[in-house]
Amino acid sequence: MTAGLNLVLVASAALFAVGAFALVARRSAVVMLLGTQFMFMAGSIAFVAFAQFGIGKIHSTAGASVALFAGAVAVAELAVGLAMAALIYRQHRSFALDADRG
Amino acid sequence: MPLIGSLPQPITSAPLVLFVYLVLILLIGSALASVLLRNTLYAVGAFAASMVLVALLYLAIAPFLLVAIQLLVFTTVSAALLVGLLRGTTGLRISSAGRLGPEWIIGAAVSATLFALLALVLGATAWPVRVCCALPLSLGDTLTNDYPVAFAVLAVILASAALGSVLLFAAPTLPSPRGGGSRTVRR
Repeated sequence: MTAGLNLVLVASAALFAVGAFALVARRSAVVMLLGTQFMFMAGSIAFVAFAQFGIGKIHSTAGASVALFAGAVAVAELAVGLAMAALIYRQHRSFALDADRG
Repeated sequence: MPLIGSLPQPITSAPLVLFVYLVLILLIGSALASVLLRNTLYAVGAFAASMVLVALLYLAIAPFLLVAIQLLVFTTVSAALLVGLLRGTTGLRISSAGRLGPEWIIGAAVSATLFALLALVLGATAWPVRVCCALPLSLGDTLTNDYPVAFAVLAVILASAALGSVLLFAAPTLPSPRGGGSRTVRR
């Protein structure tokens, strides 16, 4: 039994699908933000896996660099998104994005 | 670029392979729990567990600096932001969300389609089998020598996000049209 590129990429695809499910199915702003974080995570894992198993050692640091940048951008997006979620909560006393629907 | 040499081999050491499988299964499970749990506080806990599991996965396949940053910076900051939001809004109370709706069926269909598409691409693609012969660099060298512009842009993005989130938190909110109102309106 081995663990190689395909295994990590399949897990990454599953994580991306979970994030997409959160974006489509859930109405809570917080859970939707968590979904975007999972999609960022899936992309980072795929970059690291390609760098480690798919293209060669020379690029392993490049893959880690991209994962690092993606993680930082994800945290920045989370900070702004959570501030917006706080505004939604103040307005409607709920995180539901369709709380203002009649 | 000439492609000379051979790929790094897949992980074959039995304990490490088991570790990777276990981490991946737990990662998908905690991600699903985070999305499916109807309690926001528990969902945030499952999300933090997912971040820690990603760091454990990096431990097996990535440079240690990325592991440390994922564990100490990304996980901590994300969890602190989420818990801070919950403390400032719902007060960390255990609350439940709405009922299952048609969105769940649509969401499941969309995510299953995406996963099937990605799996199809993975199965149909022949990945490169030969690599360049150059020596590996350290992650620090790569970041400072190869990506200085990306580093600077990232600093601007993080500063903008910090400023934007502070401004949004401090922003006055208008009264709700449904009469819910807000206590933060400033005159």
